[in-house]
Amino acid sequence: MTSNNGLDISDCCLTFYKRIGETMKNYVRMHTSTKKNAKKLQIDARMRFIFMMAALISSSMLAIIVIFISMKGVTPFIGTGEYESLNLFDFLFGMTWRKDQGLYGVGFIIINTLIASFGALLLSFPLSVLTALFIAKIAPKRIAAMMTTVVELLASIPSVVYGVFASGTITLLVSNIAQRLGFVTTGGSSLLAVILLLAIMIFPTITSLSITAIHSVDHEIELGSLALGATKTQTNFKVVLTSAKSGIFAGAILGIGRAFGEATAVAMVAGNKMFGPTFNLFDTTRTLTTTMLSGLKETSGLDYDIRFSVGLVLMAVILLSNLLLNYIKKKVGNIK
Amino acid sequence: MKLLNTKTNRKRKYKDGFFNGITYVSSGISVFVLIAIFIFIFSKGFSSLGFDLLKGNYWAKNYLLSVEQAYNTPSHFEKPADLSEDAVWSSKWGIAFVDGIDQNKETLVLVEYVDNQSPFAYLKDESVKDNNVSFTSESGYQLERINIIDTSDVIKIGGNLMSQTAQEVVEMLDTQTKSIREIYYKTPGGGIRGSIIATLYLIIVALFTALPLGICAAIYLHEYAKANKMTHFIRSAIEMLTGVPSIIFGLMGVAVLFPITQLFGATTTNILLGGFTLAVILLPIIIRSTEEALIVVPQAMRDASLSLGASQSQTIFKVVLPCAVPGILTGVLLSIGRVIGESAALIYTMGTYVNDTPQLLSQGTSLAVHIYNIMSSEQPNFELASAISIVILVFVLVLNIGIKWFSRRLNKAWY
Repeated sequence: MTSNNGLDISDCCLTFYKRIGETMKNYVRMHTSTKKNAKKLQIDARMRFIFMMAALISSSMLAIIVIFISMKGVTPFIGTGEYESLNLFDFLFGMTWRKDQGLYGVGFIIINTLIASFGALLLSFPLSVLTALFIAKIAPKRIAAMMTTVVELLASIPSVVYGVFASGTITLLVSNIAQRLGFVTTGGSSLLAVILLLAIMIFPTITSLSITAIHSVDHEIELGSLALGATKTQTNFKVVLTSAKSGIFAGAILGIGRAFGEATAVAMVAGNKMFGPTFNLFDTTRTLTTTMLSGLKETSGLDYDIRFSVGLVLMAVILLSNLLLNYIKKKVGNIK
Repeated sequence: MKLLNTKTNRKRKYKDGFFNGITYVSSGISVFVLIAIFIFIFSKGFSSLGFDLLKGNYWAKNYLLSVEQAYNTPSHFEKPADLSEDAVWSSKWGIAFVDGIDQNKETLVLVEYVDNQSPFAYLKDESVKDNNVSFTSESGYQLERINIIDTSDVIKIGGNLMSQTAQEVVEMLDTQTKSIREIYYKTPGGGIRGSIIATLYLIIVALFTALPLGICAAIYLHEYAKANKMTHFIRSAIEMLTGVPSIIFGLMGVAVLFPITQLFGATTTNILLGGFTLAVILLPIIIRSTEEALIVVPQAMRDASLSLGASQSQTIFKVVLPCAVPGILTGVLLSIGRVIGESAALIYTMGTYVNDTPQLLSQGTSLAVHIYNIMSSEQPNFELASAISIVILVFVLVLNIGIKWFSRRLNKAWY
């Protein structure tokens, strides 16, 4: 190979690249102007700021809720001059709620709320876990898909529709049972009706979380159990359920949160008793949410502000019971 | 270890059968409850469901009317050919009446058809004497009372109040009447048009507020935010919003957002306030579904866009977001379902007064609150409540099917 030849090749390449460069110029900008680029970057930074503000606003909603309801909720105890201030102790431990007599005690209402919610959980929890096990492990594929749809439908029915259903059927059922047993009910509005209604309403929540928990159990654990000679059912009940314990418990926590906060449906069957606490299943009851919904006419004054105090108590009850259940969840432990 | 003998094996089988059985039973209970709800709602509400329910006013209106002097004489009118079998035709006055039943199962006389030239088409509103409002009979009006002057100049009374049937009213008109003195009409009422409109307003306001905010927040969390404590804090604060009961959102609405609507000129609780409150409730739903959609968008597409010189915001708007559309639409459908079903938060922020002509800054009820309003009255009208429940359930079912369809699209890449 001579040097002459080599020169020829590089010349050839050079002209080739030059020609490409000329055609590319039509399509590609050789350099971006600094001004344009700065503008582009500025827009980018601005958009980033807008996105961040949106995220901050969204996350600050929780703080806004807590701060404003607390501010409004403590006014009845500080007093504003509009009305006489209430005694905080009487409010928290009082056993009578009578607006006409100026008696505001939420002590019995807290107890009633706890009884109704945990009663519903007690009723609904086993059913939900068993149904979840059925859907996730036991049922044939087609039935499992059908049952999943059933649970989804139950979850998507709005609470007022549950309320209409409850005041049309559950109250009848309860008053029939009460008559058989020799109790008197006021048209079926009773603690039992509230518990049954809430049990139906929290069922889909617990079930769907339990299904997720059961699905996420490691398959190896199951195989291990089966290899040791346990039957499929024994494995399901003794190994799968215990392994999914933590997830199932999370479902129960979410469920009880829903039971505490449920308002309109419960108000249709509770009966709003003025004193308490209610331990008799066939007696009327009053929960924190029904108290907040009753007497909506006021737009100012003590009866208006006291609702925020009750709301504050509701938030405290939910928070405390969540903490308690989370503590239990940690104690019960997790096998993974 | 001893071998399993047949006896223990059989015992084990029975035990397994029992345990399997209880899972079947508990699933059966949930199916039973769902079927019971549907049967109850549909059996109670189906008879009241109809086009009149959807487009009618909720409040009945009363009209006290008289016939214009020039037309107040009997003449002869041709019976229209397409008049229904049940209707009774008055040939002298040009009007047809029909027997009907109201919601309390009582019989009524309803206007079925009015001839254009009939005296009943030229009425004057008596309750507003000064400004001579002219008025026409329309089909569907209930004829509560009609005072006539008969051939011997004596006033006679007919209509629902006298518990007459359509046949008797027409007979009285055709044989005895010389002129008509006074007519008292009542419109049927019990319709839900106002609540449907208010619900649509709510959906629009809530989505227009929550969608931009939620989508932007999700974009920040997924595309920009670094995995640090601050981001974790923002995430958990949004996540905790889902656990807050809706009645608490209602309290927040009247305490925090009401002053904002006052800037728009609101004096009472209003639909706009309800929409804003719902927007806060919808935020976590929209953020979550948008983020799930963003996760599915392959990283290679972002890299490609960035390497071509697009800035990050250009990449997001022109590449990432179009790919995430099905996920965002799933969030929209979920949100609409939530708006339709929400009641507790709206009772505080919109009031429970059923409004037939809802405006953004007036009180009103969504369909769910309308049900609550009916159920919290002294004598709850189960038929109407169930009929509205059917409307809600149909909406919810359609939305659920839509969500399933969209999430199937989401799993496959559609771009």
